[in-house]
Amino acid sequence: MNAFEEERQMMIRLQEADFVVVELTLYTNTHPTDEEALDQWREAIKEAARLRRQYENRYGPLSLYSIPSEQAIEAGWRWNQPPWPWQR
Amino acid sequence: MWVYEKKLLYPVEVSTCNPKLAKYMMEQYGGADGELAAALRYMNQRYTVPDKVIGVLNDIATEEFSHLEMLATMIYKLTKDASPQQLEEAGLGAHFVNHGHALFYENAGGVPFTSTYFQAKGDPIADLYEDIAAEEKARATYQWLIDISDDPTLNDSLKFLRERENVHSLRFRESVVILKEERDRKKIF
Repeated sequence: MNAFEEERQMMIRLQEADFVVVELTLYTNTHPTDEEALDQWREAIKEAARLRRQYENRYGPLSLYSIPSEQAIEAGWRWNQPPWPWQR
Repeated sequence: MWVYEKKLLYPVEVSTCNPKLAKYMMEQYGGADGELAAALRYMNQRYTVPDKVIGVLNDIATEEFSHLEMLATMIYKLTKDASPQQLEEAGLGAHFVNHGHALFYENAGGVPFTSTYFQAKGDPIADLYEDIAAEEKARATYQWLIDISDDPTLNDSLKFLRERENVHSLRFRESVVILKEERDRKKIF
């Protein structure tokens, strides 16, 4: 797997994990007493945060709420740098 | 407030430059039942609904903005390499002389976006019924787009969006039930 493909796969895994959070957030909004769903929701947030850290440590922050890692800074990461999502 | 995330909600890939398909996608970008109308409708209604359904409107509105970015990505990728001649052949000649390769909030017929596409009635039940209808109309539009498109990778993203409309419709229906239950409880006591 080349570097480009590796990054792409990590991004897809993060998109999947983030989507689980989006979906369970909507579900728990209208099912506030469903304890099993609330447990899943909390776990989904943890898993998405874990994958986000993993991605951002290597490739740099996806939002300005994350601290740029040494590795990303050394690799020359800048916020204002392509590719933007529509350029990928 | 919002913080930008440098990623799409779901990947958008197109097989080939196809300005005709881009023109059709504009229906969901700046059309009456499109993502901009949906995002602005819910974001604006959330201030005057009961607390129990604010989260639904807030979070679905936020998701709609991520859908809007997906639509923009589709249109951008389908047109970025198109020559003026290709745009003209696709029916985007008038678009090109006014906007070049830029995107514009308009529907597939070139009609500019307007806030008269949606309401804010100040009546939660009336607003939520409009929201359910909006989701169903958007779902139908995605189906017509999938039916007319011959781009398999684009269709993958369109199918994702179509399914999201179903889920949003369901969450709005549940919101109506929550509000009606609350109303009936108040009558009893």
